Amino acid sequence: MTQATTAIPHAEALARLASGATPTLRKSGLSRELLLERYHPDHAPAAAATLQIGANAGERCHPTLAELLQANALIDGFDLAGAEQLSTDVLVIGGGGAGAAAALTAASHGADVIMACKLRLGDSNTVMAEGGIQAALGRDDSPQRHFEDTLRGGHYRADPLLVAQLASDAPDAIRWLIELGMHFDVTDAATDGGTLRYKQAGGCTQPRILSYRDYTGLEMMRVLRETVELDPAIRLLNRCPAVELLSHDDGSCAGAVLFDLEYQRFVVVSARSVILATGGCGRLHLQGFPTSNHYGATADGLVLAYRLGAKLRDLDSFQYHPTGIAFPSRLAGGLISEAARSCGAWLINGLGERFIDELAPRDVVTAAILRECADGRGIERDGRIGVFLDTPRLARQWPEGIEHHLPALAHLAAKCGIDPATEPMLVYPTLHYQNGGVVIDGEGRSTVPGLLCAGEVSGGIHGRNRLMGNALLDIIAFGRRAGQRAAEDIGKRPLRRGDIEHVYSWQRTLVQSGLPRQARAPRLYPGPGHYPLHRNERSLA
Amino acid sequence: MSNTLRISIDGKEKEAQAGDSILQAHLKGDETVTANIGCMGQGVCGACRCLVRKEGERETATRLACETLAEEGMQVSFMDYYQPARVSRYGLEDIRDGWEWMKHLRDVFPEASNCRHCSGCDRACPKGITVQEGIALASRGELQAAAEVFDACIMCNLCTLACPENIRPNHVGLFLRRAHAAQTLRPGDLLRRLDQQRRGELAIDLSAVPTAQGERA
Amino acid sequence: MDKLNQVLLKPAIQVGADLFAWMQQGGTQGLATALDAPQTLIQRIADADLRGMGGAGFPTARKWEAAAQAAGSEKYVVCNGNEDEPGTFKDRTLLSRTPHQVIEGALIAALAIRACHVIFYLNPHQQGSLREMRRAVAQWQDSPWLEKVAKAVGQPVDLQVVPSSGRYIGGEETAVVASLEGGFPFPRKKPPFPAESGVRGCPTLINNTETLAKVSHIIRHGADWYRALGVGAASGTKLYSLSGDVMAPGLYELPMGTSLHDLIYRYGGGMLEGKAFKAVFTGGPSNTLLTRKDLDVALDFDSVRERQSRLGTGAMIVISEGSSIIRKVAEYIGFFAKGSCGQCPSCKCGTFQLARLLERVDSGRHSPADLAALRHLCQILPGSGRCGLIDGAVTVVQSSLHTFPQEYGIAATAD
Repeated sequence: MTQATTAIPHAEALARLASGATPTLRKSGLSRELLLERYHPDHAPAAAATLQIGANAGERCHPTLAELLQANALIDGFDLAGAEQLSTDVLVIGGGGAGAAAALTAASHGADVIMACKLRLGDSNTVMAEGGIQAALGRDDSPQRHFEDTLRGGHYRADPLLVAQLASDAPDAIRWLIELGMHFDVTDAATDGGTLRYKQAGGCTQPRILSYRDYTGLEMMRVLRETVELDPAIRLLNRCPAVELLSHDDGSCAGAVLFDLEYQRFVVVSARSVILATGGCGRLHLQGFPTSNHYGATADGLVLAYRLGAKLRDLDSFQYHPTGIAFPSRLAGGLISEAARSCGAWLINGLGERFIDELAPRDVVTAAILRECADGRGIERDGRIGVFLDTPRLARQWPEGIEHHLPALAHLAAKCGIDPATEPMLVYPTLHYQNGGVVIDGEGRSTVPGLLCAGEVSGGIHGRNRLMGNALLDIIAFGRRAGQRAAEDIGKRPLRRGDIEHVYSWQRTLVQSGLPRQARAPRLYPGPGHYPLHRNERSLA
Repeated sequence: MSNTLRISIDGKEKEAQAGDSILQAHLKGDETVTANIGCMGQGVCGACRCLVRKEGERETATRLACETLAEEGMQVSFMDYYQPARVSRYGLEDIRDGWEWMKHLRDVFPEASNCRHCSGCDRACPKGITVQEGIALASRGELQAAAEVFDACIMCNLCTLACPENIRPNHVGLFLRRAHAAQTLRPGDLLRRLDQQRRGELAIDLSAVPTAQGERA
Repeated sequence: MDKLNQVLLKPAIQVGADLFAWMQQGGTQGLATALDAPQTLIQRIADADLRGMGGAGFPTARKWEAAAQAAGSEKYVVCNGNEDEPGTFKDRTLLSRTPHQVIEGALIAALAIRACHVIFYLNPHQQGSLREMRRAVAQWQDSPWLEKVAKAVGQPVDLQVVPSSGRYIGGEETAVVASLEGGFPFPRKKPPFPAESGVRGCPTLINNTETLAKVSHIIRHGADWYRALGVGAASGTKLYSLSGDVMAPGLYELPMGTSLHDLIYRYGGGMLEGKAFKAVFTGGPSNTLLTRKDLDVALDFDSVRERQSRLGTGAMIVISEGSSIIRKVAEYIGFFAKGSCGQCPSCKCGTFQLARLLERVDSGRHSPADLAALRHLCQILPGSGRCGLIDGAVTVVQSSLHTFPQEYGIAATAD
């Protein structure tokens, strides 16, 4: 973590804040571009590497990710001997919202589906994404505005076709979720079925975040999980991480090799199509950053797709959410929603100054906070550094506002042992989202035939910065698209046992390029990696 | 260090700092954790279910490891995710027909009327939900009130595990919540927007490249 | 075989519900003796060293004393015939074949503590017991004996047969009370003990069926006679429910303190052909396993306890070499899990996790961490429930870990 060796002690900063003087907004002295270039983690020297092999050879990639993308496979051919053999029309890898949407849609279009989850179905970032989901429903809003906001928010680096689909799919995605039994907050429920409640998100020209209380993602995921578990066409395999994809002679995808942790054995799943919905990579803790991500976010899908030859994109672009919890350490990296800032909470440094427009785009606010900390104006508490989110001022200006309108914040503060009305929270940017990913077309197809992607593992939808509420939309919109495509491809794709020929050619490339063959990926789980993937408990580290 | 405390997790002695959660203490060590872990502190995924016994206490309570602070001498056993071997399935059509909810509820969850009022579900719930009351309301036909009881449920399945009558209370709650949304939620703005799209309106103009100010170029 | 079935299972007294036939076999003589000197009954039971046969082995006289001393004019005697643990089948035999010796014992207990309600709490799944007891009780109600007892007690005495819930947990003392009060048989926290405050707050003496069955014989023949029936320091006889891999499984009444070896090889016909003795789960079956080195143990409460196990109900489930101890243990854990009343989450959750870990071990896919977790569960669960159900479940797991470590793939620990 690029933290300063010096910072202002918490007590001192607290006393300064409590003095009551109205903080002034310090002039930045840097343009937004320069601020990002100098302080955003994506631009740090430690964030730059170049891929040497694979479909993106010669392109920029985060070094931690590059190490995984260019690693050797976890398995060899002999691991497949005696493995349990399964076959299905569609194999969905990943147990979050995108995987569930894909599996349900494929099943409803007549496909037999196997859904493989590394942990349990539902253990994912989806369940943690409580802010809401975007859909342009308001009278003054339109899919066009949603499209434009998203494109602009992503610094014009997104694929416009994908963004257009995202925006125009949104209303039907909401309808689909309601049909499955998901709740959304409404206003004027008494008249004509009411209207969905819209919340404002940073970077949007209209309020269009739909939500369910403070736990939209929980509500979404519990409904999706129940629907999947009750669907007779979907066979659910929990605790079965995918360790490698299978390929046909023509290089297309033929299924995947799973490792069943409960029974300690490999499972070979032959499939006509594979949908990767493995999510992001926050648990790689790029550059030492804390993360808001789920335990399972270890970039597995990127690694598997890349080894099979899929083209990726924007591998050097990540979203660091400005307001992660910095203290206490047990909650470090946990997210404080943007809502606090949009309600008027300021960010204050150790000198008692405001230093940025709190509602500037996420990447800009993040860079500004990191600048304060790097320049010694951060605040240190028990070894944790950050800046204040000035909730006491908000509470004074807006009595009961926190309790009634920001209950999630109040709940979180209570967990931190803090009364937000009297004590500010210490915040620090947290690794939140993988902007890039596998290149897909409008139906979720990667550049490898038979391999589709949905959700955070895919790239191009959000450009180089994602707006709040577009992630939950992305997983449903593109999960459904990928599921439908895979189901419709049943007649066109063969169901034959594949092999891991691509692994052997990858290993040849590793040797030819002088890359180490000892490093193995995917990571599957954070931590030291000493789990028994092989009977002889060969260490994977 | 005076802030260091010892805690025993699944038979392994771990050192933790005051203020650490049980889950943090659990992650210290050279074994990779591959189950019963998820959102890492947010308390929404229900993966880190554990039995916790505090030093000097008889009670062994069910908790979420990410939301429970480690204490000196605490003993913790993690619990696997419980899924009953047999569950009766229901389809979306079952939750959409509001006139038949009571019948569907009875068909899918016949055990719900067998509640023996042991309160084990209430004690097992790490979120403090009044599970038993929810089941009582559901059995009486007060379906909306029952659904609301389970509003903040994270589906950890601890009440399902704890229930000696195999009622699966959290799934009853979710059934009712889903039924209510699927049957009654018909927001006017969404209906209008879907209709506009059906009529071919509001197609997106891909060529309209927005500017930094949010206006079209 | 001369020591077999001398008292409770004596063929001659197996007369069913016929009170006249029972009297011809010496029945009611014990009660008549008791009526002569009710105030001496507790001492006589103490002198006989009669113990609770439901599993605890607690001195019966002390329980009677507590109930006799407890304040209140309305008191209960409850004959606990809920018997539902695997491998135990003694009480149902007594109740269906010799109901009168049970009833007579219960009336003597009522005399001793001056109870006005006598309840036979019976497992409804054992239809034979229920039928015979109802017939037998009706005969006592028509006999002059009840009037005599009432006179001695100082108030009318009623006899009732009450079916239990038929659940395992319903046999626990406080659950018996809850059930008799009309509720679900939820165990309650102790104290207060039922002898002080039981059914509807009244002092309630709850004795196992076998315990009560012995009472009339003790009063009739004297404490010295009863003590002499036992082997060595042990007193009286005991019903042993022998099952498992033996030639002649069945119910045997033998002198208390008969050795395990004699029970299996002398009376039980030895092991099934071709099978070698491996271990015994004592009833039931929530106790520590007995193994080959314990074949010499005298099967009385104190001697078995010296081997860190318990005589329990006297059920002996014999396991032969080649059978998986872990599978058997897992089966019992499943039984306990199903029997849990639900009140204490640690009981349902604990048995679930024990079963999960045992299943992994049994199928050979466990890791050292699973074993550590299993051992750890055995540490944190005991004492966490309102009743002893979870403790019993843990005991049997812990015992198998200690006694058969090699089945868990771990090296034996030094004893």
